[in-house]
Amino acid sequence: MELIELYIQEVTRRLPEKSREDIALELHSTIEDMLPKDYNEQDVKEVLVKLGDPITLASGYRDRPMHLIGPRYYDVYISLLKMIFPIAAVISLIAIIGDNAFGEFGEKTVIEGIAIMIGQGIAGIVSTGIQVFFWLTVLFAIFERLDTSKDQSPLTKDLKPWTPENLKDIPNISKKKAIPKVEIFASLLGLSVFAALYFNAANLLGVYENRNDSLIFVTPTFNQGVLNSYWLLVSGVVIVGGLLAIYKLFLRRWTMKLALFHALYQLFSTLTFIVIISNPHLLNPEFIAYQKTLFSIDEWSTSIYWGIIFIAIFFAAYDSYQGFRKAKIR
Amino acid sequence: MSTLLNSLTTELRRGTLTLAVLSQLKTPQYGYSLVQRLEKSGITIDQSTLYPLLRRLEKQELVTSSWDTSESRPRKYYSLSDYGEEIYIQLKQEWKKTSQELYILLKGEEEDGAD
Repeated sequence: MELIELYIQEVTRRLPEKSREDIALELHSTIEDMLPKDYNEQDVKEVLVKLGDPITLASGYRDRPMHLIGPRYYDVYISLLKMIFPIAAVISLIAIIGDNAFGEFGEKTVIEGIAIMIGQGIAGIVSTGIQVFFWLTVLFAIFERLDTSKDQSPLTKDLKPWTPENLKDIPNISKKKAIPKVEIFASLLGLSVFAALYFNAANLLGVYENRNDSLIFVTPTFNQGVLNSYWLLVSGVVIVGGLLAIYKLFLRRWTMKLALFHALYQLFSTLTFIVIISNPHLLNPEFIAYQKTLFSIDEWSTSIYWGIIFIAIFFAAYDSYQGFRKAKIR
Repeated sequence: MSTLLNSLTTELRRGTLTLAVLSQLKTPQYGYSLVQRLEKSGITIDQSTLYPLLRRLEKQELVTSSWDTSESRPRKYYSLSDYGEEIYIQLKQEWKKTSQELYILLKGEEEDGAD
């Protein structure tokens, strides 16, 4: 009877090669056992209904799971995903900083420059996220299929069964001590935008004039040569700032060690800032000449200079103090 | 019967199925004869569950199988192995204990309800 053969085929084609023949033979004899002596197509259909959907029957025979990631691995999978994703996002952001900081912006305005960076940053994070998700899922799907142990209890992060000792590893973070992730990502984004602007200042920062309904770049504010001469110092500030952000991402709360590192970084970046703005050739002569046509700032320049330094020191000190204060909270 | 009750009942019976099958395999049985024996005792079993279950029991070395080709159509006979016999006796003890406990528990609850 053709229907029987088709049914058996539908079951066995879903099974591993080596067990197909035996199961087909057994199913055949079972189906014939169930049929009356002189059967017609209606009888066959009734028997097949009793055996049910071939897919269900086949899945009964198969030992392999019918899910990608089962309860045993699901929790480890999710926590690893949550842990790896931010790190991967940070790494891709850093790669974008590197790309843009020394790249060419050509004839673009500062707004366009920042827009490009933010766009690339988002695209980078999305594509990294997809990669992380894909590879981690594939890896765990393979684990699920290679795991031959009968044990079905879920695994913890270190791939071992749970014991009360695991509770000691969970950091008990109070809201006041915690470092919000948004803050960390904002500082990373800020660093990347800063680096790109700094090394492309001649093309992006300066005086724009509105002529014929379009912004025309008149003259750059800074002397790019002077800016570039501090490349080592500025790269240091950006790289250490990035490392500090990653360190914060791992700790997720303020500690004395972090507060100290944070304070030293504030000192370092403030000193770098003071050194750079103290350079008498920092501003582009054309920019100064342009300013003079608009208003006279000569007599104010010294006070502006000291004002900026005071503000920079004040904010750095305040930020460092906040770090220590939060670290002390129990 | 509601779907929920249906699935709960299936779940409740699933565990007892292995015990029921093992109990009938002291003498060699083929798939359909086993179904008939179980049905005679009032146990209806989903056939799409039974045949895979027999194979699983064989893989776990609780039963052994052999093909009998002497009759008009070949049949695969399953019977308890020594190890399967051992496990069956222990599983039967467990079942008796559990059903006893549950019986007392449910009976107590019924008496409470009567008050």
